[in-house]
Amino acid sequence: MKLSSRPAAALVGLSLAALALTGCSEEAAGGDSASAGESCAPEDVRLVGQVRNESNPYEASWLDGGDAFAESVGLEQERLTYDGDSTRQQEQVRQVLAGDTDCLVMNILPNGDADTPPIVQGADEAGAFLVTQWNKPADLNPVDYDRWVSHITYDGQESGQQIGQALVDDMGGSGGIIALQGVLDTAAAQDRFAGLEAALEENPDVELLDDQTANFSRAEALEVTRTLLNRYGDEVTGIWAANDDMALGALEALEAAGRAGEVSVAGIDAVPDALTAIEDGDMTATVSSDGPWQGGVGLAMGYCAATGELPVEDISDEDRAFFAEQFLITADNVGDFQAPEADVEAFDCGAVFDRVAEPLS
Amino acid sequence: MTMTSPAEDTVSPEGHVVGARPRPRRGVSLADAGPPIALVVIFLAFAVLNPSFRTVGNVQNLMDAAAVLAVVTCGISFVLMMGSIDLSAPGVMGASAIAVALLVENNRNGNDLGLLGIALAIGLGAALGLLSGLALVLLKVPSFMTTLGVSAVGLGVATLLFDGVQPNIRDVRLDSLSVERFLGFSYLAWIAVACVVVGWLIQRYTRLGRYAYAIGGAEEVLSLSGVDVRPYKVMVFTLAGAFYGLGGVMVTSQLGAGLVQAGRGFDFAAITAAVVGGTLLVGGRGGVLHSAVGALLVTVLTSGLVQAGVSPYWQGGVQGLIVVVAVAAAVYPQRRRNQVVK
Repeated sequence: MKLSSRPAAALVGLSLAALALTGCSEEAAGGDSASAGESCAPEDVRLVGQVRNESNPYEASWLDGGDAFAESVGLEQERLTYDGDSTRQQEQVRQVLAGDTDCLVMNILPNGDADTPPIVQGADEAGAFLVTQWNKPADLNPVDYDRWVSHITYDGQESGQQIGQALVDDMGGSGGIIALQGVLDTAAAQDRFAGLEAALEENPDVELLDDQTANFSRAEALEVTRTLLNRYGDEVTGIWAANDDMALGALEALEAAGRAGEVSVAGIDAVPDALTAIEDGDMTATVSSDGPWQGGVGLAMGYCAATGELPVEDISDEDRAFFAEQFLITADNVGDFQAPEADVEAFDCGAVFDRVAEPLS
Repeated sequence: MTMTSPAEDTVSPEGHVVGARPRPRRGVSLADAGPPIALVVIFLAFAVLNPSFRTVGNVQNLMDAAAVLAVVTCGISFVLMMGSIDLSAPGVMGASAIAVALLVENNRNGNDLGLLGIALAIGLGAALGLLSGLALVLLKVPSFMTTLGVSAVGLGVATLLFDGVQPNIRDVRLDSLSVERFLGFSYLAWIAVACVVVGWLIQRYTRLGRYAYAIGGAEEVLSLSGVDVRPYKVMVFTLAGAFYGLGGVMVTSQLGAGLVQAGRGFDFAAITAAVVGGTLLVGGRGGVLHSAVGALLVTVLTSGLVQAGVSPYWQGGVQGLIVVVAVAAAVYPQRRRNQVVK
């Protein structure tokens, strides 16, 4: 009896401790809700931002942008992270939706395409305002829902091509490059690589020596680059990477091989280390999607819809799912991006759709 | 009376009892020779397929690439020899990677502890290993679960220390370990060689190493003969944690920055390397030297497939298949003992 109750007591104790911890962070979320169907009072809006993890500088800056917006309207953002675990993401969303949802605004980065439908479904049933980014299945569209305000994504082919061209320019129009691909079964990796292929078609003097995956990882990129440098030696004059982490791994491999500075390297994401590398002349180019803007604008769109300043039915169909503007960063303009900070004016209800580059077809 | 010397023992009646014990094998058995033969065969196969593979540069390259895996595998070998399993490498390495990046000269704070910082990071790894060991013997939680939990704890510690800003190392000595060379190999490769030698000495000549074998072979017999195995189990996990900690430091030196994900995938890579090298999951067989061969085998395979021009879409599958075949070949002679496969 005593033996069997002890683990139970420990479990109950631990759960209570966990509850006490969450209690602290959810206190801010309280407040009376407006009745459904009417617009919410600004102070009743509950803001939730969810990304994979805060140990990734890009996603951390995204949540910071959300905080900046929340502060500008006198609210607080609930910061959620699910560690790249789809099950955990769904669990967190269910917990959020089980609370007060009338004036709930969620800005979510779904883990993958398949994770978006249940989130959309749940939010729709609960009547929460939802903005999703990066991942959604092609046949699922915000226009078919009342409170799925918008889906923001970026044209991977465009960014892949932009850095591809910047790389070719830096190499002087000819030479050999190796490509480090991302996780092969993601749309981001495939689109970006398609962009590189498009850039190479326009530059027939540049040869793609090899393409390998390093799974978006700095450590794997180091190993793969090391191996490819051994195989192709001096033929390699450029390295194209599908994200900055891999580009930084490639830089370390170049340094270890004693070829730092001889090879052009380009990536995507504009993480702080990559910007420093561009400033120091070690890296050629990267592309920024502006994380702080993504984190802030998603909440702003939902907030504007919830408070009635920008009713969802008044938003044009082209703005409900779109490719947002992205920015090529090279040594010429790196100074402008060094300290990524949210520009609060971009979160004004009249400005939230200013960065629509192209509607998602 | 004078004491009887060991030499006289052989002629005394007691001496016959001693002599009747099975003698340790002097020769090399087929099971022990399998993995090194496989290593040579696979290396030669890739060398025939691809001219750039049979260069001095590539051998340097392979040694550098195998260094971290060899150190982590060295640590995990002791745990596997004992018949336990250890999945804590990713968390322990992540924590020590971030810790060392914050303790040596870096871009986040004013610390510049140099070697002491490295020692502290390895100490953190050992402490996390100690935690695994204590949970195993005091709470009687299976090693599979405790180490998985400790890995999560390590990642949690790393994420807290990370605090949103990547710590980049500015410490020239730590950074140069992966770049500077001594006799053709990077310092990291030499550190790995030193680890394997130290690991082998521990395994061969210390009570800890001998008992680790004995616990894996026949724990009950050891207990019945009056040995309290618990402190040795805790010590083995602590030792393994220290090796992972060093692995995390080495990854930080390679990448020039402390990453939470520094140890991602090393748990299964190290177990694979150990098993491919001939260390059995049921314990009692194999050891540090086997594991070092296994680490080299896995590295040659990964690097060789890339250099042979195998499409990245095929590599994962091909690599897995070769590993399964290699393990099957390595453990076939001992298949009756390999009862973990049910």
